[in-house]
Amino acid sequence: MAGRDEAEGMRARDVGVTLGERRVLGGVDLRIPRAQVTGLLAPSGAGKSTLLRALVRLIEADAGSITLDGEDIRSFDARVLRRRVGFVAQTPAMLPGSVADNLRHGLDDLTDDALTDALHAASLDEAFAEREADELSGGERARVALARALTRGPELLLLDEPTAALDEGAAKRIGETLRSLCDRGLGICVATHDRHFADAWVDRREHLQ
Amino acid sequence: MSSMVAKVVAGAGFTVLAVFLSLRLRLGLAREIGVAALRAGTQLAVVGALIALVFSYPVLSFAFVAVMLATAGVTAGGRVKGLPRARLRALISIAIPALGATGALLLVGAFDFTARSGVPTAGILIGGALAATTLTGRRLLEALVDEAGEIEARLCLGDAARAALQPSVRKSVTTALIPVIDQTRSVGLVTLPGTFVGLILGGASPAEAAATQLVVLLTLVAVELAAGMLLAELTMRALILPGERIAPLQIER
Ligand SMILES: Nc1ncnc2c1ncn2[C@@H]1O[C@H](COP(=O)(O)OP(=O)(O)O)[C@@H](O)[C@H]1O
Ligand SMILES: [Mg+2]
Repeated sequence: MAGRDEAEGMRARDVGVTLGERRVLGGVDLRIPRAQVTGLLAPSGAGKSTLLRALVRLIEADAGSITLDGEDIRSFDARVLRRRVGFVAQTPAMLPGSVADNLRHGLDDLTDDALTDALHAASLDEAFAEREADELSGGERARVALARALTRGPELLLLDEPTAALDEGAAKRIGETLRSLCDRGLGICVATHDRHFADAWVDRREHLQ
Repeated sequence: MSSMVAKVVAGAGFTVLAVFLSLRLRLGLAREIGVAALRAGTQLAVVGALIALVFSYPVLSFAFVAVMLATAGVTAGGRVKGLPRARLRALISIAIPALGATGALLLVGAFDFTARSGVPTAGILIGGALAATTLTGRRLLEALVDEAGEIEARLCLGDAARAALQPSVRKSVTTALIPVIDQTRSVGLVTLPGTFVGLILGGASPAEAAATQLVVLLTLVAVELAAGMLLAELTMRALILPGERIAPLQIER
């Protein structure tokens, strides 16, 4: 372990995934270092969502290896893995209750300050805390889902098409949000087929063939 | 005997009336009503003969109950296809509570330890457990599809798979229990239930009929609750994979 690169983060090597009868991914390599925004670029249907899900073990890869700081992700308790590596789905589902309920889910001792910090980090006003989560717009939900992942104190964040449902202004805000999270040391991976967004906000690119 | 003939003739008369009305009003139901009536007649005749046989040879009650259970398991299993190993799980969920409660009722002397008491008691409890199992299973299937996003969100926030599934599971059981709870709450107000009517017609005292109806209803609530919970628990166990994952459903709807 001597001299381990502090920026190591997540690494997938030669990963394969089969869903039902279909070989959806095969021979995929990917690196998600800390403190950078990695763009996972590919046309739709290429398997970006599948790969991100495999990285947090919502789906089990059946070939290759996936490591977090050099350790196989299967050696972690999956619940711990999913707190260290936050995943925000393309159209994230809100849990019943308020935005605060969503952010506090599973965290009994989350302080009000930590909750406000997470809202701010996701470019949400603290007044959002009391809003009913299922009354929010698509863009607001995306940010609540991001804030909800942030309350877990993740080291890496995986975002699936975060700008898919957003206009240009909202997409720019997401870009700025990711930038500032990244400046705090988080490693970020954005799966997208939005070239404009990638050109503006991504530090490094990975391509899915 | 003559009253029996009168019953069959009266029933047939009302069927003819219904068929006539349906033809007259062009409802297109005549054929269906006729077939349903014939089926009911045949099925009841067969069941009556079988039960008579069971009363003569009480050992046969076990076979009779086994057939009821198997039919219930296949019926419930068919309605919740898509849940893994649906038939076996439905059968277990029906059999354990229904047989357990039947045994308990016979043991404490609520009903005589005879084929005449045991078979109908088992039948009514199997029927209730079948309804609860089917409702729970169907609601659970819907929830697993409709709430897939929520379930995944909970997993992503660090919930164990069991915790992530729990709200959907709980809702499916509560929904399945609504009919039997309503039935218990409103008994005697809206309709006179079958057990009560049957006993009164058979010559039992109203007090006896009421007590029997009461124990049947209250037992049904517990049996249906247990059946729904068992199916939900068995299904949940089948869906949870290593690594706090949830198996994708193989749904053919
Ligand atoms: N549950 C599934 N079973 C079988 N095939 C699937 C399943 N989910 C997705 N796929 C297929 O896998 C491929 C990759 O899907 P996805 O990961 O969503 O791609 P992307 O996110 O890049 O658009 C697609 O062809 C899709 O149809
Ligand atoms: Mg996708």
